[in-house]
Amino acid sequence: QATPTIRWRLASSFPKSLDTIFGAAEVLADRVSALTGGRFQIRPYQAGEIVPGLQVMDAVQQGTVEVGHTASYYFVGKAQVLAYDTSVPFGLTARQQNAWMYYGGGLELFRSIFADFGIIQFPGGNTGVQMGGWFRREIRGLSDLKGLKMRIPGPGGQVMSRLGVVPQVLAAGDIYPALERGTIDATEWVGPYDDEKLGFYKVAKYYYYPGWHEPGPQLSFYVNLREWQRLPKEYQQAFEAAAAEANLAMLAKYDQVNPPALQRLLKAGVRLRKWPNEIMQAAQKAAFEWYEEEAAKDATYRKVYTAWKAFRQEQYRWFAVAELGYEQFALPTA
Amino acid sequence: MRFLLGLSRAIDALTEGVGRAVVWLVLLVALLSAGNAILRYGFRYSSNAYLEAQWYLFSLIFLLGGAYALKHNAHVRIDLIYGRFPPRTRAWIDVVGTVLFLLPMALGVLYLSWPWVMNSISVREVSPDAGGLPRWPIKLAVPIGFALLALQGISELIKRIAYLTGQYALAEEEEKEVA
Amino acid sequence: MDLHALMPPLMFLALVAFLLSGYPVAFALGAVGMVFGFLGIALDLFPPALLQAMPDRIFGIMSNQLLLAIPFFTLMGILLEKSGLAEDLLDTMGRLFGPLRGGLALSVVFVGAILAATTGVVAASVMAMGLISLPVMLKYGYNPRFASGVILGSATLAQIIPPSVVLIVLSDQLGVSVGDMYKAALIPSLATVALYFLYVVYVALVHPHWAPALPKEARPEAGKEAGAAFALLSYLLVGVGAWRLGGFLHLPGWLEGLEVLLALFLWTLFLLPWIRKNPLLKRALLSMVPPLVLIFLVLGTVLIGLATPTEAGAMGVVGALVLAALNRRLSFRVLYQAMEGTAKLTAFVVFILIGSTLFSLVFRGVDGDLWVEGFFTGLPGGEVGFILFVMLLVFLLGFFIDFFEIAFIALPLLAIGAEALGIDKLWFGLLVGVNLQTSFLTPPFGFALFYLRNVAPKEVKTADIYLGGVPFIALQLVVLVLVYFLREPILNLVYSGFGG
Ligand code: NA
Ligand code: NA
Repeated sequence: QATPTIRWRLASSFPKSLDTIFGAAEVLADRVSALTGGRFQIRPYQAGEIVPGLQVMDAVQQGTVEVGHTASYYFVGKAQVLAYDTSVPFGLTARQQNAWMYYGGGLELFRSIFADFGIIQFPGGNTGVQMGGWFRREIRGLSDLKGLKMRIPGPGGQVMSRLGVVPQVLAAGDIYPALERGTIDATEWVGPYDDEKLGFYKVAKYYYYPGWHEPGPQLSFYVNLREWQRLPKEYQQAFEAAAAEANLAMLAKYDQVNPPALQRLLKAGVRLRKWPNEIMQAAQKAAFEWYEEEAAKDATYRKVYTAWKAFRQEQYRWFAVAELGYEQFALPTA
Repeated sequence: MRFLLGLSRAIDALTEGVGRAVVWLVLLVALLSAGNAILRYGFRYSSNAYLEAQWYLFSLIFLLGGAYALKHNAHVRIDLIYGRFPPRTRAWIDVVGTVLFLLPMALGVLYLSWPWVMNSISVREVSPDAGGLPRWPIKLAVPIGFALLALQGISELIKRIAYLTGQYALAEEEEKEVA
Repeated sequence: MDLHALMPPLMFLALVAFLLSGYPVAFALGAVGMVFGFLGIALDLFPPALLQAMPDRIFGIMSNQLLLAIPFFTLMGILLEKSGLAEDLLDTMGRLFGPLRGGLALSVVFVGAILAATTGVVAASVMAMGLISLPVMLKYGYNPRFASGVILGSATLAQIIPPSVVLIVLSDQLGVSVGDMYKAALIPSLATVALYFLYVVYVALVHPHWAPALPKEARPEAGKEAGAAFALLSYLLVGVGAWRLGGFLHLPGWLEGLEVLLALFLWTLFLLPWIRKNPLLKRALLSMVPPLVLIFLVLGTVLIGLATPTEAGAMGVVGALVLAALNRRLSFRVLYQAMEGTAKLTAFVVFILIGSTLFSLVFRGVDGDLWVEGFFTGLPGGEVGFILFVMLLVFLLGFFIDFFEIAFIALPLLAIGAEALGIDKLWFGLLVGVNLQTSFLTPPFGFALFYLRNVAPKEVKTADIYLGGVPFIALQLVVLVLVYFLREPILNLVYSGFGG
């Protein structure tokens, strides 16, 4: 009975229409099946099919589904520290996040946190640096942010609110008409490929970059811990390998589809704008003040934050040399 | 039976009391939502707390109002066949339906939601968004609502059985044809 | 025997049987889910923990802010009815159209279209028109079946004329822009209203006793109708003209609104002598003011960016309260009854959603979605065959489950087929959207039928309501065919970039 037939259900936090993100769950399922001769089957369900997108953590924790594919920062209401498993403002880029997770101790740190929820997690994709969002008016400096009504959930919203922005979380169907009519002044989403499909460019011309609020958001696979421990070793290995491939595949896919999407958006008259330095600096300062506050309140948060901060500093120093040096010379300016 | 009818009256009083409070939430949520829009437009002020309070109130209306709607026979029925039956047959259908349909569903959700609520309370779950509200209280409303619904189901059951055994006259509302 | 493969069809059969028992729909739906949930666990088709998804799914319904539109628009509708404001409007409209056979029905279609342009939920329209128009039509001798049908058909306009909860959900599921979907819906919206008008005219000509003209004694201002109608038309032209001018001058939203108001005011001053001579016109103008104020609050506050489409319903409630108070019809009793009716309706609608979410969870658990998908793999006929089949399937599903469930269970699977065949997703979504209108009217499970039954007077039989909707289902199917053949013009309209 070393290779039993096993069928798992995977609940994704995302709709199939976000095909690149949802696709990572499909990569996982296909690979696990192929690596086990079809004996270990995982069936991905999009958001809402088994549980709503924002309930995936509860669903895995309670064993409703064996696997979830989600972004941990959706669950900061349970523990603020979970944001670091995804991305925090001015955090790590995709490559740096991978370095932290696979070799920098990040994975182990979070494994001990997720164990309290009866979950074991695996990196499961990354979008790369996101875009800063769609704005109806040009933002020239900090004063333009005061009273600005923006749809921006989670940690990005926390930092924006400290800059005087009024963060609004609206029903999905209300976002487009609200932006079209100026009920809200701005919204963030993902990046060119996904943003294009929602048509925000038709009603808000200014497209800001970079998405400092989500510089390298990582998706995660959650597995119910009891189910994981009952899994034969070979299947565990297959799962880990497939998750790593899905992690790589999603980032590669985004890097392939975003450039032409951005070109199409520019052709449609989108005005690309870089965040003013003044705003980036104020946001960074506000972000770290907030992290320090949270760290003072909670021991687990403090532990992760301290490790993350040290790792981040080391990474930044290195990336500023070869990576930045090359890119500054070789890449055309936008 | 006298004890059971007394129990039924007590449950009805509870449902009626909760229901009358819930009715006011309808006005409250409309005023809150309109106020949110006006504050945001006129004063560029808003908070996720107010936005979330909207759907908290909405949730309370149907979670706590479900039992009230049951008491007033307001849950919609398909009466193509049911409507042609005499009152006694309809009472029988309601007895069987309450035992086989309503009570299993209400008690089932009550049972399923308990660990889910406890998880939320144990981490003092709050909104993930800036300025949002605590989450666990509204999650707690789910088992409370379904418990009220199950209780009202028991009360309806008692009244129908008492009616079938000739010890109770159903009020017009309780047997009116609603579809 | 493969029990596994039998479960999905058995669930459908059980659903029909349970619903027909006459026990409340919400719990019958949930009971099918529960029964098959235990069966599925006993047969080891899924682990018991799958049912643990229920609280998560209920939470998804709780936090869906779009559903707030249901209590808002319901409360607004009841307040309008209780305060006599909508009655005045329909009454006046009736007097205007009164000399015509079928005039009341025409005014219902007209008012239905106006309500549809302000609300995105069918429930609100059925409630408002069922409470307001049906008694009036019956009073003047309309055939109950025809009257019910006109109201049902006009009420479902709410979901094809933007703003619309259905179109929002469809866009969300297909990953197309909501704005594009709204634009694409313009042609079928106009086509549907036009067909309804033609049908009413047809009935008035062929079955005059179904839709009698108003008797002379119900029209104290007989003879003044034409003049009043022309004057009202002139208001429409002035209003639209002022609005287009504002758009042309790129005025900010609030200034544009002010400009339109000013133009209408000046036009009233100009018409004053005429208004004094025509009591029907005066009455019409006065009765038009409250609905115009409400349309401004519900549509205008969205257009000028004051409120989100959801909040606009709340603005409408506040407006209806103020207008009822000004009309001296707002008593504590009226307010309480309106709130109580709203609370009960909200509870029963959302409990149906809760019941159906339990049903569809278990349906998925027994791989009912795969069973549905299996249908598609063996389909002959390429694109035409696929569309024909999908339209038939959506139509048939619409008899049994509501549009939310169709959008969430069936649409993602259908979209895979559409994508494989290279069918434009926007056009495909529009076809589904027009088709879904029928699901509100098809028994045994049609939301519009439930709502109307709930508010209709007792003398209207359930059979009248169910059969009354049939001609309008047919008309909607005609529009569906139209959308199929107008693929190019519709897509050109959307992608030509107007308004972009
Ligand atoms: Na509409
Ligand atoms: Na139907």
